[in-house]
Amino acid sequence: MPMAIEDLRQELTGLLGDRGLLTEWTQRRTYESDGLTGYRIVPALVALPEDVQQVVGVVRACARHGVPLVPRGAGTGLSGGALPHADGVLIALSRMRRIVEVDAANQRITVEPGVTNAQVSRAVAEHDLYYAPDPSSQVVCSIGGNVAENSGGAHCLKYGFTTHHVLACEVVLPDGEVVELGGPTLDAPGYDLRGVFVGSEGTLGIVTKVSLRLLRRPDAVRTLVADFPSPSAAGDAVSANIAAGIVPAAVEMMDNLAIQACEADAHAGFTLDAGAALIVELDGPAAECDAAFADVTRLCNENGATSIRIAGDASDRDLIWKGRKAAFAAMGRLSPDYFVQDGVIPRTRLGECLARIDEMAVEAGLRVANVFHAGDGNLHPLVLYTAADPEQAERAETLSRQIAELCVSFGGSLSGEHGIGADKACSMPTMFTADDLAVMDRVRAAFDPHGRCNPDKVFPTPRLCGERPGPYRPHPLESAGVIERM
Amino acid sequence: MTSTRSASPVAAAAVHRPGDLAAARDAVLAAREADANILVHGAGTKLGWGGRPAPGRNWHVVDTRGLNRLVRHDAGDMTASVQAGMPLRELQAQLAHAGQELAADPSRRARGATVGGVYAAGDGGPRRHHHGGVRDLVIGTTAVLADGTVARSGGDVIKNVAGYDLGKLWSGSLGTLGLVVEMTVRLHPLAEAARAVRVPAAADVATAIVLDLLASPAEPVAVEWSGGAGGGALLVGVEGRAAAVDAQVASVAAVARRHAATVEPVDGEPDVWDAWREAHAGEPGATVARAATRPGDLAAAADALDVAADGTSVGTTLHSHAGLGLHDAVLRGGDAAEHAAVAAAWRERIRAIGGSVVLRDRPAGVDEHVDPWGDPGSGRLLELMRSVKSALDPERRFAPGRFVGGI
Repeated sequence: MPMAIEDLRQELTGLLGDRGLLTEWTQRRTYESDGLTGYRIVPALVALPEDVQQVVGVVRACARHGVPLVPRGAGTGLSGGALPHADGVLIALSRMRRIVEVDAANQRITVEPGVTNAQVSRAVAEHDLYYAPDPSSQVVCSIGGNVAENSGGAHCLKYGFTTHHVLACEVVLPDGEVVELGGPTLDAPGYDLRGVFVGSEGTLGIVTKVSLRLLRRPDAVRTLVADFPSPSAAGDAVSANIAAGIVPAAVEMMDNLAIQACEADAHAGFTLDAGAALIVELDGPAAECDAAFADVTRLCNENGATSIRIAGDASDRDLIWKGRKAAFAAMGRLSPDYFVQDGVIPRTRLGECLARIDEMAVEAGLRVANVFHAGDGNLHPLVLYTAADPEQAERAETLSRQIAELCVSFGGSLSGEHGIGADKACSMPTMFTADDLAVMDRVRAAFDPHGRCNPDKVFPTPRLCGERPGPYRPHPLESAGVIERM
Repeated sequence: MTSTRSASPVAAAAVHRPGDLAAARDAVLAAREADANILVHGAGTKLGWGGRPAPGRNWHVVDTRGLNRLVRHDAGDMTASVQAGMPLRELQAQLAHAGQELAADPSRRARGATVGGVYAAGDGGPRRHHHGGVRDLVIGTTAVLADGTVARSGGDVIKNVAGYDLGKLWSGSLGTLGLVVEMTVRLHPLAEAARAVRVPAAADVATAIVLDLLASPAEPVAVEWSGGAGGGALLVGVEGRAAAVDAQVASVAAVARRHAATVEPVDGEPDVWDAWREAHAGEPGATVARAATRPGDLAAAADALDVAADGTSVGTTLHSHAGLGLHDAVLRGGDAAEHAAVAAAWRERIRAIGGSVVLRDRPAGVDEHVDPWGDPGSGRLLELMRSVKSALDPERRFAPGRFVGGI
């Protein structure tokens, strides 16, 4: 154990006690990866603070000893954003899970970062309120992680992302000072640092308290599943709806492979031989919803829907969503392993992009299942492979990265909601110029001049990507055998 | 064309009017070469906002109105890229051909307010209640920093988490971090139908109605209150499908009636929204103070304003985006010292309920008595803002003195 870490261990044991500091390899190993399990690094220490004072203590100690730190929420992230640093402290915020204040009249809630996304909505359900962003992992993923990743979900087409719902963040800066970004009202005077902090993937500080805006539960919800012969036909139906001025709460699409996996897992009643299924949900005032829903149904039929199933009641709707949200977990039925991508394209180029992905999959000799947030062009192609075959795994990894970069070449983005993390940092130069990235790095340095907070994430560095930022090469730590991509 | 902008707060040694990104970069570099500060404006309708420019260097002015093109409108994707100096009303007119809009309705549009100016000022209007602020609608930006670096962030798609969201920094920064040249924005469909009702209600009853509206299934696009010590009224707007807006009006009316308030349809008064929206801007010679509170503090904000102005010769009206908790006090009559005293007293009371007050337009002399930004809060937060400023503009060229804490 390096000297700095040994000193730090002694200091943090005093601060956190044995219960709050994990030092044994077997314990630390539990935290070696987040939801992107292909990357694994066992952290030097794991701190489990229970309040903001303890976070401050840990961060100050790290600063004094020059040790990097990596914040972690529930560890469900899919881009390796919470991948530990081998010589650093992993700060897991899972024990900070108090609901601090509910202000139902003003539709606000203040929570600690370890509270799960779903707990927020549960805590305010009695007031007919809910928290709108709904990532598929909402039952386990934490609000702190949502803030770090600017999480979205199926309903962000209408309701926006985490950044649109965060009023304030209490943040421990990398020097251990505590600031409140934003405030209890809109438009706190000064630069919108809260807006920059949300989605900064743990590189600017550690969030220890979050105030969220809540919404009144909609008067009515209408949901349908429409089957189409192909994803591109389903895409045309989406375009027709958008062109008609309809802003659905959610529009989700699954291709045939995804339908099969989801149906086998959740028995949601999806049609097994449909080329694509579209889930369209509208919500709002009942009259408004009904009028628009009639149009959605008509437009789906006009665009070649082979069948339309309308959710009869809330439990039917829940079953449909259970089926859709099971997509990633259900892939295990099709393949022992898969890579999931998160690229975004302009929605109007959906057909073109899917056709190209098909070609690329054929060229690579691999199967790709597709589930996506069709309303906003956020694709989740799942590249299926067998990890036991290292050559196939490498082909799958290459294909997965090429798909993300294909999205950029279509005028889109590397990531719609999973983040850049460790996974896509080396692809950032396909989307941003060196100047763009350097300016972001200047902002990072304003928060963290010594680069200690979640280093080697988001931005390409020579250490991470080789001397020249550009197309992927094996991670130096991979070559050295320190980490592996399964 | 008659000039409609506020008197420039600086004497310009040079005025640049770039027409594209390269020329915008040249303008910034020319200012740097001349060791000058840079004041950016569009139509100049909000040049009176923020602190007074710091003395020291000469000033170069960058007038963005040559950057007036709609670069791209992807109607199918509901996005558009627009140069910063394009007047908002012209953008809206072009987007309307496709049945779309940028869902931002700040005041001063008739005076030529530009998209970039609205963004840099973080200004919004009544429909922010439903659509969010401009900060929420901008999905990509291109800006020129003081050293000539061209920095893009975000992108052309609505959903995107790659890299830092620097677009949030430019919003409301009053041109103190860089020159925003182009923005990509998310668009919304124009509503098929819109209706509005006026509900006469003093501030206390209005507050109760607003909270009930927020808690009701109605989804109004705007919830405004305007009034003073003698009473006031709410103006509530709904939008949607022609077949459905009447039902929405009925649910708004039901809430109002629970508080024994009367409901007056104003659909026959086409300029009612213009009048209410422009009232937020105040008139020449007035001081406009913007308070931010929780929505439930409307009555407290109105009472605090009455108390602050009591015994002075200053008359006050409060124009409130009531559902958002954003209130513009318009102070008229009296002298600059009295305006300052009323604003300071109001600020003290608003701070006591967890809010803030920032001065917008005000007559000369007010700043001698009160800081337009107020106390910038915790030392570390201000220090962090200074660090961000110096990371992007280390020589303090962009409008020094205009931002909070003298930034």
